[in-house]
Amino acid sequence: MQYDLGTLRKLVHRDHVHRSVYLDPQLFTLEMARIFGRGWVYVGHDSLVPNPGDFLTTRIGTQPVVLSRHTDGKIHVIYNSCGHRGAIVCNEEKGNAKLFRCCYHGWTFKTNGDLDAVAMPRGYGTSFDPRDPALGMGRLPRVETYRGFVFASLASDGPSLEEHLGFARTSIDELVDRAPDGEIDLSAGVHRYMFRGNWKLQLENSVDMYHVPFSHESSVSRSGRQFDRGTGQQAGSAISDRGSAAQKWEQRSAWGSRSSGHGYAGHQPVAEEENTDPIHRAYVTLLEKRHGKERTREILQPKRHNTAFFPNMTLQALNQHVRVIVPISVDRTEVNVYPIRLKGAPDEMNRQFVRHLNLTHSAASLIQTDDLECFRRCQEGLASQGSDWVWFARGVETDREDERGDYVNNGTVEVQQRAQFAAWIKLMTAEA
Amino acid sequence: MAANTNSIAPSMPAWADERAIERFLIREVGLLDERRFEDWRDLFTEDGHYWVPLRWGQDSPDGESSLFYDDRKIMATRFERLRHPNIHSQSPAHRTCRIVGNVVIERIDAALGEVHVASNMIMTDYRQRVSRVFSGRVHHLLRRNGDDFKIVLKKVELTNCDDVFELIAVPF
Ligand code: FES
Ligand SMILES: [Fe+2]
Repeated sequence: MQYDLGTLRKLVHRDHVHRSVYLDPQLFTLEMARIFGRGWVYVGHDSLVPNPGDFLTTRIGTQPVVLSRHTDGKIHVIYNSCGHRGAIVCNEEKGNAKLFRCCYHGWTFKTNGDLDAVAMPRGYGTSFDPRDPALGMGRLPRVETYRGFVFASLASDGPSLEEHLGFARTSIDELVDRAPDGEIDLSAGVHRYMFRGNWKLQLENSVDMYHVPFSHESSVSRSGRQFDRGTGQQAGSAISDRGSAAQKWEQRSAWGSRSSGHGYAGHQPVAEEENTDPIHRAYVTLLEKRHGKERTREILQPKRHNTAFFPNMTLQALNQHVRVIVPISVDRTEVNVYPIRLKGAPDEMNRQFVRHLNLTHSAASLIQTDDLECFRRCQEGLASQGSDWVWFARGVETDREDERGDYVNNGTVEVQQRAQFAAWIKLMTAEA
Repeated sequence: MAANTNSIAPSMPAWADERAIERFLIREVGLLDERRFEDWRDLFTEDGHYWVPLRWGQDSPDGESSLFYDDRKIMATRFERLRHPNIHSQSPAHRTCRIVGNVVIERIDAALGEVHVASNMIMTDYRQRVSRVFSGRVHHLLRRNGDDFKIVLKKVELTNCDDVFELIAVPF
């Protein structure tokens, strides 16, 4: 199958997409080039590399990269590949280094990726110029940070990060503003899991409010509520009590941007419940000290449950975490989940955030495991030719446009997924 | 102290018999293999914990992510869910098989009636054409309970603690 622009456009309709977008290795290769290989991709958080020389290894799409804080304090994203014969240079998951040294022939690189020195340099002739940038590890042309979130692009030009984030930027603001010190910290460990399915299954799911009472049925007790998840909560999320909760779920806001693919789902009803726990009270007092009562109320007003930043990062408020999606192949995906600690909040509160995330989003958790099972079943089931189409039609007739031209709707609709695929086809068919 | 009067050597009270401890550990993992989760939970003291760190060398579950860090309340929630008829990630369920070995009594606190035990475990699990092998060093803090023991802490240091895991449903 050759994918010219016409063929690609036939794959994506407003409320349904062709199953091959999850199955075809050729489309996966195109995605790596046109989505992960051009646009802004989330790489990491600056709290993971706080000091000069700190680095961590990760991937952009399928390419290994290093997120590094150079000696001058500046953050760079570098290809994790030696300028000599291509070996991985930084082999550890994270660390601190003055120079990066390749294991194979001992070339060294500065923490901004520039070549530092070639081992046994006298053997080289005059045609060999160690100042040639091609001999370094290579830096990604564009790296920008928004409130600690580091994004990079493999393309040297294109929209700025601010343009790319657009209105979805306010989801980062909402989260970070909740930290009394105005900063968050992601260094409390990471949950890593893998599923045998396409990366988009996780992206769609992270803002899917429709699946909750079904996928997660086993975590809902007879009362219609889940287990409690945090300080001062008497019971967990009201999922299916058939009464007021169901109604509230349908009132939640839903938003998706057709141009960027970002989207969010409004807060869960449980977030509105009053929290009288003393640790929570102490936290509110800390926020009030910094912002005053009125602004604190505004900050703590529940607004969003989760936000997906196309193509590879999601935020969740209830089980506070940043999730990073790492595509491995068309039918294999890894996911990294980082608990978020709010700087300046009471230690005990941050400890509880970390602890509750073990319960909801570790690879052995009570919530995420059922999603993983559903992703695998989707991937297997889509191989069948029973129907060629995957549907995202819920609420399509009630989508409205806001002043930016983005979709808005309410409740357990599939508007976010419609927006994701609108952005997907836009990027897949864009001129290089 | 009663424990000491029974002891063969002052450092090794009779209740801390190596064979009895080994039998206890074998019985413990047998309950998990048989999916008798509630009985397994009953082996823990009221303040007992089950902990599986995510980082090699991680010395505290406090303020750092873990694969499991369950008190008895969380265990109850976890097992209630495992009994739910519509738990998709366990339809069908994982089958497991465990081996306990290399049991070493590391330290005895006769005054508290507590014993620190280290052992190795190997567990295989199987579900829908996927077989896995887990292994690790297990640390038990056991408290004497009549002729038997209760678990104050079970810590499992998986060999691949920082791996990228496919879904895990039952404790190791
Ligand atoms: S491959 Fe790195 S020095 Fe040769
Ligand atoms: Fe889910």
